[in-house]
Formats: sequence, C-alpha cells, structure tokens
Amino acid sequence: MLKSGQEWVSSAVDGEVDAKTLAELAADENSHKQWQNYHMIGDAMRGELPQTIDLDLTANIAAAIELEPAIMAPQTETVSTHDKVESTVAPEVKKDNVVPFFKQFGQYAIAATVAMVAIVGVQNYGQEQNADSPLPVLNTRPLVGTASPVSLQTGAVQNQSSVSNDNVVEQRRRINSYIQDHMLQQRLNSGVVVQHNDGIDKNVNN
Amino acid sequence: MRLILLALVVLAFPTFANSNTESIAEEEMSAKAWLESMSQALQTKQYKSSIIQLQADHIRPLVYLHGTVNNKEVAFLEYLNGPPKNAVRVADTVTFIEHDQPAYSINAPRIQGIWPTIFATDVSSLEQGYQFVLGGRSRIAGRPGQMIRIIPVDDNRFMSQVWIDMDTRLPLRYDMVNQDKQLIEQMMVIELLELNEPAKILIEAEKQGLPPVMNPAERIKGQNWEFSWLPAGFHMVVKDHHRLIGSDESVEYIALSDGLVNISVYVARMGDSPMPDELITRNGLSMVVEQVGNVEVVAVGKVPAETLNRIAKSLILK
Repeated sequence: MLKSGQEWVSSAVDGEVDAKTLAELAADENSHKQWQNYHMIGDAMRGELPQTIDLDLTANIAAAIELEPAIMAPQTETVSTHDKVESTVAPEVKKDNVVPFFKQFGQYAIAATVAMVAIVGVQNYGQEQNADSPLPVLNTRPLVGTASPVSLQTGAVQNQSSVSNDNVVEQRRRINSYIQDHMLQQRLNSGVVVQHNDGIDKNVNN
Repeated sequence: MRLILLALVVLAFPTFANSNTESIAEEEMSAKAWLESMSQALQTKQYKSSIIQLQADHIRPLVYLHGTVNNKEVAFLEYLNGPPKNAVRVADTVTFIEHDQPAYSINAPRIQGIWPTIFATDVSSLEQGYQFVLGGRSRIAGRPGQMIRIIPVDDNRFMSQVWIDMDTRLPLRYDMVNQDKQLIEQMMVIELLELNEPAKILIEAEKQGLPPVMNPAERIKGQNWEFSWLPAGFHMVVKDHHRLIGSDESVEYIALSDGLVNISVYVARMGDSPMPDELITRNGLSMVVEQVGNVEVVAVGKVPAETLNRIAKSLILK
C-alpha cells in the first residue's frame, strides 16, 4: 500500500488520475502529507518557492480558525438541552468574545478603539453641541485617514484583563477621544505653526 | 614629446568635460537642494497626481490636483473610496467638504494629509532634528526618482524617505519607517501628469464662494506649561484649554512639532477607569499615559513610545 500509495499521490499531483481515485485519495489521511511534499518538490523544481516556506499551512490555518473569536447567537434552550457539547463550549467562547483585544499591561494595539471612533464620535456630536465647547463640532476623522482599526485583523488576543466591561468601554471611549482630538488639532494647528512659532519658541528657551 | 602629450591633454580635456557637465549638475545636487527644488515644484507646478496611501493593512486611493488660478495657488484633494471627502485650498484657506457635516474652512498653508506640509514650505527648518542624505534612484510611476533620506539626529523619532521625480521635481513616494525598518506609512504616486493650464475643477473652485474661515481666536488660554526636555527641533506650537472632542472632558492642551511630526500633550483629571500606560497602533501612532497624583498626562504622536514617555515626564507648570 505504502509504495503504491505514494505513486497514487504522485500521479494525482501531476493531474493524472480520475475523479474516483482522487476522492479515494482525499479520504486517505496518510497521503495528505505526501501530497503537500510533492507539491513543494514540484514548486522547488520550477523555482516557484516563496521566500519563506510555511511548512504546515493547513495546521496553521486550523489553529488560526480555532483562535478566531466566534460570533455566537444567543442560544435557545432547546439547543442547550439537545446538544451538550455546544452548551459546554459556548460560555467560554462568549467570554472571549467580549473583549478579545485587550491585555492588561504593556504595549498592545489599540484594538477596536479606533473602529469605535465612528460610533462614539457620532453618538457624541449631539451632546457636544449642547455643551459649550470652545471648539466647533468637527469630524475629526482625517480626510486621508490617520488611524486605522488595528487589531481586528490581528487574530485573537487572550483577554487577561480583570477589569470589568464598563471600565473597558469607558477606557476605550477615553482613548478614542484623545486620539480623535489629536487628529483634529493637527488640522486646526497647521495654520498656526507659521504665525505663533517664534513667540512660543522664545518661551521654551527661557 | 612632452609638448605633444600636453597638447593632447589640453585637447582631450574640454571634450571630456563638456560631455559631462550636464550630468554633473544633477549628480552634484545635494540632498537639501533636491528637497528645496521639490518644495519649489510643489508650490509652482500645475499637476495632477493619483496617489495611494498605505497604512498598516489599509490602502486609500486619492487624487490631488494643483495649479495656479488668478495668481492664487489652488489645490483639490479627493478621497476616492467610501463616502465622499474632499478638500479645496485657495491660497491660505482650506475648505473641507465632507458628506456628514457642513463644509468648513480653516487657515492652513497646505491641505493636511497628503505630503507633509513642511515639504512645500520651509524644508530647511527640518535641519534641527534631521539630516538629509542622498540615496539611490529608482523608477516610480514610470518616472525616474531620486531618493532622499530624512534621518533623525536622535532615536526620538522615525526615519522618512522621499523619492523625487527627476524631471518635474515633484514627490513620487514618501515612506515613514520605524527603527526596525518596518513601514509605518507610505504615500505613493501611481500616475503623475504635469499640466499646462489649471484643471477645470480648480478654476471652478477659485470662483466658488467658500465658507468663511472659522475663527481660531476662541481658544481659551491654557496654563503656563513648559518642558524641561524636548527632542532637538521640537517646539511648542499651541497651548490652550479645551474640551476633548467626543466627550465633555476639559483638558489642558499643548501641541508640539518638529516640522514633520506633531505631538499632542494633554493634562486632565484622572478618569474613573484606569488608562493603559502605553498604547501603540500599527500605523505608528503611540499614546502614553503618565499619572501624577490625581492628574494624568497623556501624550499622543507618531514617534516611539519612549519619546512620548520622556516628554510626558518632563512637563512642568511654571
């Protein structure tokens, strides 16, 4: 089986087998590794190897899928009674889902904060007009973007934070306002630089 | 024999020199001269460039038009993807036209968000914090480009590189890279057209009555903040007291700039929820929070977090 199996795989890689054999091959898990190797050898002979070879792509993808925060719909009671496996897994996944991007200490990406800019910003524009703010209400999202949602694509970061949800939301909101304000100021200050530069510069030197 | 040799040398030299004078003029241009001629070109040429901006994994296409109408510099920026966002500049007035709010104008020498404003103004003022170094040449947007490195004199900021079109002297590409040579952001021209007369849209824009410039004098004067340390070339641009956008929190605000990079420093009452000590986005924007008693000092900017940390720590109230 071994030898002939290899030959199968080899000819399958070269596209020389019919659909039936291919289906059989797909069912045979032992040959999968072989399949991958033959493709790699083929690529190498044709000089098509990428700069870095990710030897086990399938495993990586599987791992990445596992880490991906799942979007869970609220489960109905019938589901939880019928499907025990589902119901045991669900609470854990849900927990991760709440704040998958924050770590307690050190450096971490701004996560959804910037993505939240839009929502927070829009919600607050109404209030802003009532409060008597010295600055006019502006859209701080720059014309040509400055901030981009960062870790939405970076995969799941384990939540090690013990901070409660409210605090995290509040924290994000504050981070957003600082970053938004920084961007707005860049727009407003660009005209000021030329005029006030000297006066304040002297101040610094004193 | 000697005479013959001498004669040969005399005869040969001028021809040799002649054939090279043209290229020598270009070869010997210093990095600073390149930047200065770029600055000149950005202000005087009439052109249309299609540009893509890369930031982390975002790509934004835009079109920038520039020309002179009635002796006034007129520029138009259009952001091509997503909800319409445009900006028009007529002389020193920049008007932002965006879908979700009424158009408004501010006073600014350039439209912010394309090439760094300093590129079209006084490049030499960058010399306090950066060195200009001539790099290699490469082809961008089908044009030969001369690369100039803008290298910081210290580790307190990131390095930039700009590629200048050898023909029109307009910028073709601008990269900002971190200490590990990883790209933070990039602006790259994909098509550059030099125009003989201003584009129609610029003539229209000049005719249009644009909203009046908002009065920036409404700023409330802030406290007399000073810094015991700032990286070379950085100076205070603005000090004021205002409410953060998107919240009614009032803050003391100081804007710092070295020409290329802007840093915002905020002093605010500590919030109920603890802020992270340090934040870094993938597009190079860092944020540092320093707690002093029940007050927090927040510094935001496109520089390494360590720099922000040092700046936040050196803030003093006189």
